[in-house]
Amino acid sequence: MALLNDEIRGQVRELLDAMPDVVRLVFFKLPEDQCEYCGVIEELITELAETSARVVVETHQLDADKDVAESYGIDRAPALAIVGAKDYGLRFFGLPANYEFSTLIHGIQAAGHGAPGQLEESTLSYLASLNAPVHYQVFVTPTCPYCPGAAVLAYDMAVASDWVRAEVVEASEFPEIADRYSVMGVPLNVINETGRVEGRAPQQMIVETIKSVLA
Amino acid sequence: MFDFKLSTDVSKGSSGSSRYDLIIVGGGPSGLAAAIYAARDGIKTLVIEKSAAGGLAATTDHIENYPGFPEGIAGSDLMDLFQKQAVRFGAEILEFEEVTRIEPVRKGLLRVHTASDEVFEAKLVMLATGSKPKKLNLPGEDEFYGRGLSYCATCDGPLFRGKDVVVIGAGNSGLQEGVNLLSYARSVTFIEFLPYSIAEKILQERTMNHPNSTFYFNHQVLEIKGDKMVTAVVMKDRATGEVKELPTEGVFIYVGYSPDTKFLGDLVEMNQWGYIKTDTQMWTGVEGLMAIGDVRANNLAQVTVAVSDGTKAALAAREYLAKLEE
Ligand SMILES: Cc1cc2nc3c(=O)[nH]c(=O)nc-3n(C[C@H](O)[C@H](O)[C@H](O)COP(=O)(O)OP(=O)(O)OC[C@H]3O[C@@H](n4cnc5c(N)ncnc54)[C@H](O)[C@@H]3O)c2cc1C
Repeated sequence: MALLNDEIRGQVRELLDAMPDVVRLVFFKLPEDQCEYCGVIEELITELAETSARVVVETHQLDADKDVAESYGIDRAPALAIVGAKDYGLRFFGLPANYEFSTLIHGIQAAGHGAPGQLEESTLSYLASLNAPVHYQVFVTPTCPYCPGAAVLAYDMAVASDWVRAEVVEASEFPEIADRYSVMGVPLNVINETGRVEGRAPQQMIVETIKSVLA
Repeated sequence: MFDFKLSTDVSKGSSGSSRYDLIIVGGGPSGLAAAIYAARDGIKTLVIEKSAAGGLAATTDHIENYPGFPEGIAGSDLMDLFQKQAVRFGAEILEFEEVTRIEPVRKGLLRVHTASDEVFEAKLVMLATGSKPKKLNLPGEDEFYGRGLSYCATCDGPLFRGKDVVVIGAGNSGLQEGVNLLSYARSVTFIEFLPYSIAEKILQERTMNHPNSTFYFNHQVLEIKGDKMVTAVVMKDRATGEVKELPTEGVFIYVGYSPDTKFLGDLVEMNQWGYIKTDTQMWTGVEGLMAIGDVRANNLAQVTVAVSDGTKAALAAREYLAKLEE
């Protein structure tokens, strides 16, 4: 059975057909017996590509295609790189289901327009002044209604600045990473390993955190 | 299981128009029910929601007392259906946009201001902003939020698989979410201030008869302790005065809800807790402004009641809008 029904496909098509650039979803998977959701993710992105010609899919085995994975900075799977006219640094680790499906669609749109959704003037001007790498991770679960709000902010900032790399991580699928960052609540924003903001934070607060970790 | 739902994207979601007959602030059950009735009546309706639509009802694992679902239904699934039904009749739903101010201009015109500096106009506004979890204001509560302390088991529960957790508050919400946590966690300890639980019998039976649950009644939590993460809860036995420390990795707080109505200033009449007073038709007393659902004073926090409020308000709105036209 299809994952996306006709109604959702219709909505998605309208959004994605409007993108000026084609978006490539580069999927890194593991062998089936090591990955509960890889099959579902592959099916999902294939359906997205069927829905809109503005989306294409490229699939790799993480182990077999190490070099490719490395070139996208990907060290674990399942992982998606969301690549527009260029690689803006948008990544999704895990299955983008339930509320997180919206995050994926927003990421694709941002990459396909080459423009962030909604950033404040002050955020944009700060991002324009960046001159050091920002690794912006957002930990989420699919059942958290507050999470997409946090995740899409990371994607928007990554599209707005070449210095920002935005990784959304489904925490319950990556227990070791969740442990490493002590993720006990979602959404959790982690910036350059040390900057930590719990909950869905206003843009200004994320900007302040970036400033303080870069200082 | 998982499904794939699409929230309306803030940047591309709405029709681009900023004038509506009706704007509903809050996309929980009351707001969506009002949107279903109003939109079906041909009233041009916009729902503005600060996070994803669904409200508190979407953050509960399972709803068993909403008629029509004999086996019960996941809160987020039920709210998805509400949303679909509203959209089907033409209601627009703008998500991830917070309303920061309501400005009554004159009869038949109110302005609704949002956090991203947009302004929408409507002839009629309904406040359906519900409530948010209450804090206990304990030492450690703010410090450990997101570090083992949570107000949403549906959101954060999956991170506590195989761990020992504590639920503070053994009312309906605490026990309902406790049932959910018992399916992930190694053990769930419930701490309740009162000597008994005020929750529904069926929830008490399910949690108390579970092999991995423990109950402390008549205990007051004094402090949440930890270093980087939560490590323990300190509580006092109210009968004996004995203070105990209970080691735990997670603390879920379910001690009731309070309305989030500060953004209204003194625009509408509220009771001492900030709940909005209305008449039986949901009018607040301010021209063109109604309130529905959990945000209303002396209301029962149930989905059925929220739906009933939304229905009554939508019907009163129809009459009001018709009169405006005259
Ligand atoms: C754990 C738990 C279990 C429950 N179980 C049940 C049950 O089994 N059966 C039952 O009938 N009921 C249950 N309830 C109660 C039920 O969820 C609520 O009564 C119902 O959700 C109230 O609906 P509402 O529309 O009034 O408000 P809410 O559901 O609280 O929705 C209000 C919405 O308004 C939004 N909002 C607030 N301020 C703004 C703003 N300024 N701008 C834009 N948007 C804003 C909020 O984000 C929210 O989405 C449960 C509640 C909880 C927490």
